[in-house]
Amino acid sequence: MHRIIPLRIGSFDLSYTNAALLMTIAVILITALTLLSTRRAALIPGRWQSIAEMSYEFVADMVESNVGREGMAYFPFIFTLFMFILFANLLGLIPYSFSVTGQIIVTFAMAAVVFTGVTIIGFVRHGLHFLRFFVPEGVPALLLVILVPIEVLSYFIRPFTLAIRLFANMLAGHTMLGIFAGFAAILGIFAIFPVAVDVLLLALELLVAVLQAYVFAILSCLYLNDAIHMH
Amino acid sequence: MVALPEMSEDPPSDPLARLGEKLDKARAQRVPVRKAGGNAGLQQGLALGLRVGVELVTAVVVAGALGWAIDRWLGTRPWVMLVMLFLGIAAGMLNVYRAVTGMGMAVGYPRRQGPKGPTERPSGKWDDDEEV
Repeated sequence: MHRIIPLRIGSFDLSYTNAALLMTIAVILITALTLLSTRRAALIPGRWQSIAEMSYEFVADMVESNVGREGMAYFPFIFTLFMFILFANLLGLIPYSFSVTGQIIVTFAMAAVVFTGVTIIGFVRHGLHFLRFFVPEGVPALLLVILVPIEVLSYFIRPFTLAIRLFANMLAGHTMLGIFAGFAAILGIFAIFPVAVDVLLLALELLVAVLQAYVFAILSCLYLNDAIHMH
Repeated sequence: MVALPEMSEDPPSDPLARLGEKLDKARAQRVPVRKAGGNAGLQQGLALGLRVGVELVTAVVVAGALGWAIDRWLGTRPWVMLVMLFLGIAAGMLNVYRAVTGMGMAVGYPRRQGPKGPTERPSGKWDDDEEV
């Protein structure tokens, strides 16, 4: 990560880095895809319109089947989240670019937004009743002393797992690519083998990039479902 | 005549509002489609597989780190960290168990037998089937 436009305000370093640049590109691309492809919307969609419609329907289906009809109110958020992570992941695979989602602070910021939002939605919809979440029913009072902390802990671990999963997968993938590229640099004529491995790994990374965006979005849906329909 | 927002109370006169109503009606009638087999199954299997490993590790690490921080703050090394580590292991196992048994990531225990997979959850009737 390096600074493109250095900027310091007080003790904060607000420089425009290459990470910020990649995020900007991702946002611009998503906006362009959704706006341009639907500007001349046709009944029989062209290629770009198909891409936009398929991603829309994919996320809409996911939200509806996991959260239910009430969840559709949060569809724009989940869609934005999914598209942003997907594009950030995919852009990171382009050589010489930068994988934003391989930075734990980025993934953690997104996970924290999901976690805080879901918790607030839970409290707004259920009030203090939401706290019943942490108290399993039909358990002797003595066991509650142990069980309630475990429940609370497993709830507060959510944003961390959400963040670390995405971050670790992206980091691991890029590290692997980097290691094999490093082999290629020292092997001379035999560099063809590590390069071949890298090509295969890149295909795997494509799968991981899409899958991790899906996992992040679907887990957000599941958390949302918990908050909306408490069991 | 320009359609003003306040006019939406009246029976919709402009074609757009009528179309909106029609769309709403059609949407309400649409039955959620259950996709069967093949691709969806693979996708969900992969997603689940990628989930559980991280779940277990993170729980222990986060709980341990939290315990370590509390210890440093209160000067009670190493007791809080030890307790938190065990709680973390338990919480991690619990999360994995929940993910694998298809309870989603729900905290707490469902009072009734819900449908199995997270995607098979009926959207409307989640709260009003049999009470136990």
